[in-house]
Amino acid sequence: MTREVREARAVTVTGYGVQTAFGVGPEALRRGVFAGVPAFRPTTRFDTGPYRTAVAAVAPADPAGSDSPDGVDGWALRDALQRCGDAALGMAGLGADGQAAVLLGVAGDHRSVTRYWGGAGGSVEASPGELSYIGRGSDVARRAHAAEPQMSQPRAPGAHLADAVPAQLAELLGDGLGLVGTRLAFTNACVASAAAIIHACRLISSGRIDVAVCAGGYLVEEETFGKFDSGRALARDGMVRPFSAERSGLLLGDGVAAVVLESAEHARRRGARPLASVVGWGAATDAHHIAQPHPEGAGLARAVQQAMRLAGDPDGASLDYINAHGTGTKYNDGAETRGLRAAFPKFAESIPVSSTKSTTGHLLEAAGVVEFVITMLALLNGVLPPTAGFGSPDPECDLDYVPNEPRPTEPLRALTVNAAFGGANTALVLERP
Amino acid sequence: MTTTHTTAPRSPLTSPTALTVLAAATASHGTGRDDDIALPKLPGFVESAFSPLAYEVAARCLTAHPGDGDRTAVALASLTGDTTTADLASSRMVSGRVHNPLLFMQATANSVLGHMSREFGITGQMFSLSTLADPLTELLAMADVLLDDPELDRVLVLGVELGGGERVAAVHRELAADSGRPVPSLPAKAGLAAAILLGRADHDTSAPATVAVAVAGAQVPINSTSGAADQLGSIRSLFELAAAHRTDTDTDTDTESHTHAHQ
Repeated sequence: MTREVREARAVTVTGYGVQTAFGVGPEALRRGVFAGVPAFRPTTRFDTGPYRTAVAAVAPADPAGSDSPDGVDGWALRDALQRCGDAALGMAGLGADGQAAVLLGVAGDHRSVTRYWGGAGGSVEASPGELSYIGRGSDVARRAHAAEPQMSQPRAPGAHLADAVPAQLAELLGDGLGLVGTRLAFTNACVASAAAIIHACRLISSGRIDVAVCAGGYLVEEETFGKFDSGRALARDGMVRPFSAERSGLLLGDGVAAVVLESAEHARRRGARPLASVVGWGAATDAHHIAQPHPEGAGLARAVQQAMRLAGDPDGASLDYINAHGTGTKYNDGAETRGLRAAFPKFAESIPVSSTKSTTGHLLEAAGVVEFVITMLALLNGVLPPTAGFGSPDPECDLDYVPNEPRPTEPLRALTVNAAFGGANTALVLERP
Repeated sequence: MTTTHTTAPRSPLTSPTALTVLAAATASHGTGRDDDIALPKLPGFVESAFSPLAYEVAARCLTAHPGDGDRTAVALASLTGDTTTADLASSRMVSGRVHNPLLFMQATANSVLGHMSREFGITGQMFSLSTLADPLTELLAMADVLLDDPELDRVLVLGVELGGGERVAAVHRELAADSGRPVPSLPAKAGLAAAILLGRADHDTSAPATVAVAVAGAQVPINSTSGAADQLGSIRSLFELAAAHRTDTDTDTDTESHTHAHQ
């Protein structure tokens, strides 16, 4: 069944902010993600002795050269990380308040980014009916628990256990940005922030709201690191090599991003120039396993097909790029390849596919929104980010993965996909104006 | 960090549409309620009541009103999530013990949703969320949005509230101090879950009855069946609505609305 969304309101992206291990803003991504330079390094945030690897895509201890495009303070991450490493504060220092500081810095960045791209700016914050949706998981909750194994221990100054509640981060973001409207925290793991974006698209497209701010953040910390290590999911060679025969697993990474989604009509009224349009979205479940993806990528194919039908191009003939989930694990990459082949039986081999987790690491709950921004920048910059660390081809991964070198091109439409525990899959289609 | 919790005005929905309750279920464990159940065993899930209770209420709804899993979506709301699993995992790490991969597997609600999807062949969207607003209001609004999608016929909404140790109690006390929210009074090992399977009034002709649920701003018809509402915590409204329309048959506490739902 085809949805006639062309009759619905167009959804545009009118602002964004992004911060990864490379630094703040699009220029940092250009030097890292779009150059195929991985950000992996041994982390000193915690003792990695008990684990099989010490490596993650983490911001350097002193992120000099943060390059926010309009002079926006890019030091929030540094401050948060310093607090993380401060023994006096312990792990609670990177609780929701620490994450919120980063998130607010990044979300606030959308104003300058809008100007950076030539938009007219305007007061998005003043728009009535604005929503704050945020994708994040329970990692902060785990940190807060870990920070206080015994309630009798002294509490970190200013640390509130209530900040461990996922909804709190959406509240903090909403309060900090002065947003009114519903505040939701999506908690469904690695598709959380993509799910937030999809929900916002549905609300805007159907006319229920005009504007939404969607954000997500993950900063590498020990507990999640230890869990992925216990699941033997982390790469053994300090690199993430998606779709390559040498791939041995994923590595975690710092990532925070926020996007402003807005109806085209509302953007026009306030004189904002859309950076891109969101023309399709889909979400589907594998119905296969609580942790492993469907071996044929069935749910991924279904989500992609939904999104492409919505975009008016069920065959994918108009698609110029796919930002893959591409974790670098044996399970994911073969299944994802087969899922993309199933979704695009005619065109899969001619569409470039890359995994930017090869440079940023896996950003967990933030993966959806950060990769959404990267996909949009590929459209705006005319460069496809490569799959870094690509060695030799794997017979079960047989698409064009843009290996190791960026590819100049003029893409008009791109798809970004994500997948998560429980067989959850999301797909979003972006289009250059 | 000081945080204020204001009740943000809801955005008006353009066309509040009646939803139909196709099935509803509640389950409680260790609460002292008359209808408490033993914790169901769920293969692959350990220690915590979160996933077994979520699965129990979902399974009752999906069994009571079978349908096309390809055209079914699921949304789970829980303010604090599976705090039992989070607490166990954190305690192990802090005390220097090896991480338990099983706790890793069940660390997010995705896992039980994935199990549910496999057992009932659900391939529509499944997601989980946390909100300081009333989860019933948010879930009904979400179902309304999802049911605009012509590829979906049904949305299962569910919520879970767990008891917990001192840390979880401290979380609730802090939230209460900031916002005046009620502090749930569940015993540490207790848990509650509620689920409602929703469709459109004009969509599923096999619906037992139309029970109109206004989505935007209007009062939801709730017959409170709980004498211990404090136990219900953040899912109180959802639990009471599900109890009022309960379609399972393992209890004698059905309400008039339940009977109505079976007409």
